[in-house]
Amino acid sequence: MADIVPTRSALIDTKRKIKLSQTGHKLLKMKRDGLMYELFELLPKVKDIRKNLVTHYNSAQGKMAVAQAIEGRINIKSIAHTQQLVPTVKVGEKNIMGVVVPSVTGEAVRKTLTERGYGIIGTSPQIDDVVDSFEMLVEEIIKAAELETTLKRLLEEIDKTKRRVNALEFKVIPDLEAARDYILLRLEEMERESIFGLKKIKEKARRRAKEEAAARAAALPEAEAAVPAR
Amino acid sequence: MQEIAVIGSPEFVLGFRLVGVRATREATEPRQLAEAATAMLGRSDIGILVMDQEDYGRLPEDLRTQLRGSIRPTLVAIGLTEDSALREQIKQAVGVDLWKDN
Repeated sequence: MADIVPTRSALIDTKRKIKLSQTGHKLLKMKRDGLMYELFELLPKVKDIRKNLVTHYNSAQGKMAVAQAIEGRINIKSIAHTQQLVPTVKVGEKNIMGVVVPSVTGEAVRKTLTERGYGIIGTSPQIDDVVDSFEMLVEEIIKAAELETTLKRLLEEIDKTKRRVNALEFKVIPDLEAARDYILLRLEEMERESIFGLKKIKEKARRRAKEEAAARAAALPEAEAAVPAR
Repeated sequence: MQEIAVIGSPEFVLGFRLVGVRATREATEPRQLAEAATAMLGRSDIGILVMDQEDYGRLPEDLRTQLRGSIRPTLVAIGLTEDSALREQIKQAVGVDLWKDN
């Protein structure tokens, strides 16, 4: 409170800040609720994708182990070099209540046997199984890239907004209200002091006038006596 | 159009190479992983960066923060078990464990 100047302009300024903070608080609360709604919409999808991702990854790793045991690591590496069609993605951006999140679409992920590049005759069905599993895994990764990142971004924003709402509700607005009350109190006190001072001056002036009138009244008979009668 | 990039051990990377992913970096040591991730972060032709959860956990904190915030590339960390970090993040942000099965 030491740095608060108790003036009318400071009071107006503080009242304006309180109003602004209250509006901001209300808007941020609305934003937080909106983000929560988005989160509740997204969460079941992300949970499913996460489960699928783990399942597909486990399955792909298992199939890779079998294929390596049958074909040998060197052979699988050489098959990997024959792949010509590179899976691509298109990563764009979209905005959810001011939060920039990715929007991902994939291309050339699932391929037919002929598109895969390696010869069907020279390889075992285990290789096809591994490629199938990893293609499915990549598909899930593309879905996860969009949804999981969106969820993480939403969570970060919810956390940030929650902190701001709490800071406004429990720190900024109460502090500003305390400052406003302090200024009001000091202004009332100063007003009382000034009224009291004015009253004292008025009293002093009245007393002085009375004294002067009394002095004048006392001086009048003496003057009359000093003037000789004709 | 952007590519998918994969960073990790030779075993981790091999499966992705089989489906045609070309932007792969084999790395096992934390320093190599950090170098590879930093290099991928600077590439505009990479749309998704795939890493193993354990490898991602071994990256320096500032790099992880950078990767978390990046859209191009968007990071996807995968593992044999479900990542508990997301669950913790939900608990911290919402105050309730929404991840648990009802």
